[in-house]
Amino acid sequence: MNRKVNKKIIKAAKDTVFYLFLTTLIAGMLLPVYFIVSLSFLSTREAYRYPLPLVPALKTDFELTYGENGYILSVWDRTDKEYQTVLDTNEVEKMEVYIKARLGTKITQEEIRAEIARLENSGQESIFFTKPRSLLYNYDTFFKVTRDAVPALIRSIEIAALTILISLSIGGLAGYAFARYIFKGKDALRFSVLFVRMFPGVAIALPMVFILAKANLYDEPLGLSLIYSVGAIGLTIWITASIFMGIPKSLEEAAQVFGGSKLQAFMRVTLPLALPGLAASAMYTFLGAWNETVAAIILTQFKPTFSVVVYQTLLGAQGNVNLAAAGGIAMALPALIFTFFLRRYINQMWGGVTV
Amino acid sequence: MATLEIINVTKRFGRKVIAADNVSLEVHDKEFLVLLGPSGCGKTTTLRMVAGLEEVTDGNILIDGVDVTDLPPRKRNISMVFQNYAIWPHMTVYENISYALKLKRMEKSEIDRIVHEVADMTKIGELLERIPAQLSGGQQQRVAVARAIAVSPKVFLMDEPLSNLDAKLRVSMRTELKAIHDSAKATTVFVTHDQSEAMSIADRIVIMRHGKITQTGTPEEVYDKGANLFVADFIGTPPTNFFDVELQRNGKGLHLVNSYFDLRLLPENEARLKGYNKDQLTLGVRPENIILVKKSKSILDTTALVVEPQGSHQVIAFRLGEKIIKIVAPALPKMEMGETIHLDFQQESLRFFDPESTLAIGD
Ligand SMILES: Nc1ncnc2c1ncn2[C@@H]1O[C@H](COP(=O)(O)OP(=O)(O)O)[C@@H](O)[C@H]1O
Ligand SMILES: [Mg+2]
Repeated sequence: MNRKVNKKIIKAAKDTVFYLFLTTLIAGMLLPVYFIVSLSFLSTREAYRYPLPLVPALKTDFELTYGENGYILSVWDRTDKEYQTVLDTNEVEKMEVYIKARLGTKITQEEIRAEIARLENSGQESIFFTKPRSLLYNYDTFFKVTRDAVPALIRSIEIAALTILISLSIGGLAGYAFARYIFKGKDALRFSVLFVRMFPGVAIALPMVFILAKANLYDEPLGLSLIYSVGAIGLTIWITASIFMGIPKSLEEAAQVFGGSKLQAFMRVTLPLALPGLAASAMYTFLGAWNETVAAIILTQFKPTFSVVVYQTLLGAQGNVNLAAAGGIAMALPALIFTFFLRRYINQMWGGVTV
Repeated sequence: MATLEIINVTKRFGRKVIAADNVSLEVHDKEFLVLLGPSGCGKTTTLRMVAGLEEVTDGNILIDGVDVTDLPPRKRNISMVFQNYAIWPHMTVYENISYALKLKRMEKSEIDRIVHEVADMTKIGELLERIPAQLSGGQQQRVAVARAIAVSPKVFLMDEPLSNLDAKLRVSMRTELKAIHDSAKATTVFVTHDQSEAMSIADRIVIMRHGKITQTGTPEEVYDKGANLFVADFIGTPPTNFFDVELQRNGKGLHLVNSYFDLRLLPENEARLKGYNKDQLTLGVRPENIILVKKSKSILDTTALVVEPQGSHQVIAFRLGEKIIKIVAPALPKMEMGETIHLDFQQESLRFFDPESTLAIGD
C-alpha cells in the first residue's frame, strides 16, 4: 500500500521535472522568436519603451487639447498607463506624418481635421478618439524604404533554387556513384569533398571575385549560386550517398528484371524512396544559400541578395529596430514556407516508407 | 515453353576472382533445375548472368535458342525471386505485382485478372492493398513469388528464396513452390546451398564448386553416384563416411584393409575395381549403409559414443582413430551410449574414390 503511494509520488515528481525541463526548453527556443515577431509589429514609439509591451496594440487612443502652438496631441502609453504629449502643433500634415510613422496608426488629414472641428464644436477642453493600428506598417515601410527589397527577394529565391538544382543534380549523382560503385580514390575523394567546407566563405569568395568577373558572372545570381554550390555539393554528396546506400541495390535490379530500363528503375524505385532524404538535403542547401551574407556582400554590387538588403537595413536603420525585425521576419518567411512544404517528404522518412 | 542454355560462360571480377569458370549447362523446357553448392561457389553470379544483371566475361547464354548474352534484363523474358525478396516498399502488394504488367501496357482489366489469379495461387489475395512493411517475412516471400509468376516468364530464376524463412516455413514453402511450378510450368533455375532443399525440390541438380560444375544429375544420381569426394561429402545428412584403405589381394579375393577392419569385397565390387591398379583407395559408405549385425557377422566392433534418437530412426556416432563415424539405424532396438556395437557394410552401396584425383571409381 505504502509502496504504491510512494511510487505514485515518485512518478509524479519525475513527470513534473520532465515537463518543467521540456517547457523551459521550448520556451528557450520560442521566446526569442516570439520577441522578434512581436517587435516587428510594434510602432516605432513603442519599440523603444521599457519594459517593452508584450503584444502589439491593435488600436491607438488619442487625446486632443488646445496648446501654445495650436493643438496638443497625446497618446495613451501602455507602459506608463497615462496619456503622454507627443506633439504641439498647428499643422495637420505634421500630425498625420507623426501618427503614421511613429505610431504606425491609420489616419487621414480629413480625419484629423474632423477631430479638430469636433474639439472646437464641443466647447470642452479636450476630446478623446481611437484609431486602428496599421499592423503591417513596418513591413510596408521595409519594402518601400529598403532599396531593391522586392527584386532582392526574387533574386534570393532564384539563387537558392539554382543552388538546390546545381548541388542536388551534381551532388546527388555523385552521391549515387559513391553509394553504388567502387572506383579508385573513392575514400580520398569523399574527404576532399568535405575539405572545401573547412574554409570560411570569405576565403573562397575573395578569389572568386576575379574568377567570376572573368566568366562575366560577377554580380549575377548564377555566379553566386555557383559559389554556394561549391560548399553545398560536399554536404549533398554525403547526405545523398548515405540515403542511396540505405536503398538496397536489389530493389533497382528487380525493377530492371520486371521490365524497366536502368533509368526507369532509378526514377520509379530509387528516386521515390530517396525523396525524403533528398528533400532534407535540399532544405540544408536552401537555408545555407538563403542566409549567406558575407560572400553575397563581396560578390554583388547592384544586384544584392535579400540577406544583404536586410543586413544593410539593420546597419542603416539604427533608430528602427522594429523595421529591422520586420526585415528579419520577411527573410525568415520564405525559408519557413519552403520548410513547410518539404516537411511532408521529410516526415515520410519516419512514417510510412521504410526500406 | 522455353529452354535455357549456358555455354562456356566465365565471369571474372577483377584479375583474381573467377566466380564462374567455363560453366556450361542446359535447362530443359518446364524443368526445375537446382544450382547447388557451398556459399561463394558462384551460384548467384551464374544466376545473375542469366538474368542480365551481371555481364558475362566470356561465353553465351541462350533462351529458347536466342542469344541473349548482350540483352538487358527486361528484354530477356525472365523473372526473378531475389534472396531478400526485393519487393518495393513504397508500393502496395497490388502495385508490386502489376508493375511489370503496366510496363507491358496491358489492359487494366487484364492486369486485374492476372494479379488476382497469381495472388490466389500464392495465397495473398487478402493482402493486395497492404504495403510490404505490414507483411511478415513469409508473406513478403509470397509477394515476391507472385510478382515473378505474374509476367509468365520463359525462365524463372530464384536465388535462395527460402533462406530467410524459419525452418518450418521453409519446408512448407518448398512444397508450395514445387506445386506452383507444376501449375505454372515455367522453366526454373533455383539456387540454394541447402542440399536437402535441393534434393526435395529438384528435377535435376547441378552441383558447383569453386566456380565450376562438378556434377549434374537427378537427386537420386547425385546421392547414389556422387562423382567425387566433394559431392559424396556434400550431399546427404549425416554425410558419407570415408575410410582410407589399402587394397589387398590374398588368395580368395580382394580385401579393403585398414587398422580397424578387413572388408572382403563381393565379386561385383571386385569387378568394379578391375581397372584400378593403385593400392590405396578411399572407401565411402553412407550412414544408412553401415548396419548393426550380430557379433558373429560383424567386421567391426566398437562402442557407441553418442546416440541421437530421431523418432523414426537413431543416429549413432562412434570414434575410429581420429574420425567420428555416424551411422543411421532403425529406431529399435534402442542403443545406449557406451554400448558395444557390431557393424557390417552393405556391399551394394559402397563407393570407391581415387584418393589422389578424388574422383569416383567403378561406376
Ligand atoms: N561484385 C563482386 N565483386 C567481386 N567479387 C564478387 C562479386 N560478386 C561475387 N563475387 C565473388 O565471386 C564469388 C562467387 O560469389 P557468388 O556468386 O555470390 O557465390 P554464391 O552465390 O554461390 O554464394 C565469391 O568469391 C564472391 O566473393
Ligand atoms: Mg548467393
